[in-house]
Amino acid sequence: MSINAPAIDRSTDNEPSDELLQDILSAMRQIVPLPLSVAPPQGEPEWQEEWGVLIGITGDIYGRIVLLGEGEAFGKLGESMFGMRLEGEMLQSFVGELANMIAGQAATLFYGRGRRIDITPPTVMSGKMQIYGLTNAAKAALVFEGAGELCLYISKDSEGKV
Amino acid sequence: MARVLVVDDAAFMRMMLKSILQKGGHEVVGEAENGAVAVEKYAMLKPDLVTMDITMPVMEGIEAVRQIRANHADARIIMCSAMGQQGMIIQAIQAGAKDFIVKPFQEDRVIESLNKLLHAEGKPVA
Repeated sequence: MSINAPAIDRSTDNEPSDELLQDILSAMRQIVPLPLSVAPPQGEPEWQEEWGVLIGITGDIYGRIVLLGEGEAFGKLGESMFGMRLEGEMLQSFVGELANMIAGQAATLFYGRGRRIDITPPTVMSGKMQIYGLTNAAKAALVFEGAGELCLYISKDSEGKV
Repeated sequence: MARVLVVDDAAFMRMMLKSILQKGGHEVVGEAENGAVAVEKYAMLKPDLVTMDITMPVMEGIEAVRQIRANHADARIIMCSAMGQQGMIIQAIQAGAKDFIVKPFQEDRVIESLNKLLHAEGKPVA
């Protein structure tokens, strides 16, 4: 879908790169073998209900990618990709690895545009909590058919030195 | 059969790789969750082959490849990373990696890479 579609809420001037946002959505479609639709964000903003994962971006863009969702949704994504239901420590590890694969693939697509970003190892968070510092982030609800919804935040803190 | 050291910060990915390698008739002799542990375990275990992630805490995979190859010039290392851009592949190969597999990987691709590398270097494969 176009990154200009209204399903993505970018309410501030400090938008992340449209190209990177598009590449992250493309990466998700390549990695998760379930139909994906992007919907307007629902519910309270920046609230993590069960699982969250954060990956830092450096390079041509400095920022963060955050994915939030319920264990059920992450578990079903894992099942669709690897054919097994994941629980406990393996689910926690998969949440981090899913974000790593998406950010890594997005970095590869971004490189194809002549731009460079590097990514940090994922930080996985569990439990209900409010996340601060994402006020300026672009956000989107990602609905994976048969699995459920994840919330994506992409914040751009600053431009890097090219 | 090859003795393999699996290096990845994600326990889930180590489990997946271990399962694939064992199904392919190989033995996983060790696991490491970052590059620094991989360098230590390589010296201790002397595996036939290493699968190496790139984005890891403490020490990333390309630096680990450099350090392993500095002390063991014959080390056979396959990168298994989500970062598949050309620049990253070139850095890994320049550091001494023999092949590069992009995550999420297919089972066949992992076994094919491993067997090709072992075969090319005269190591009997399963």
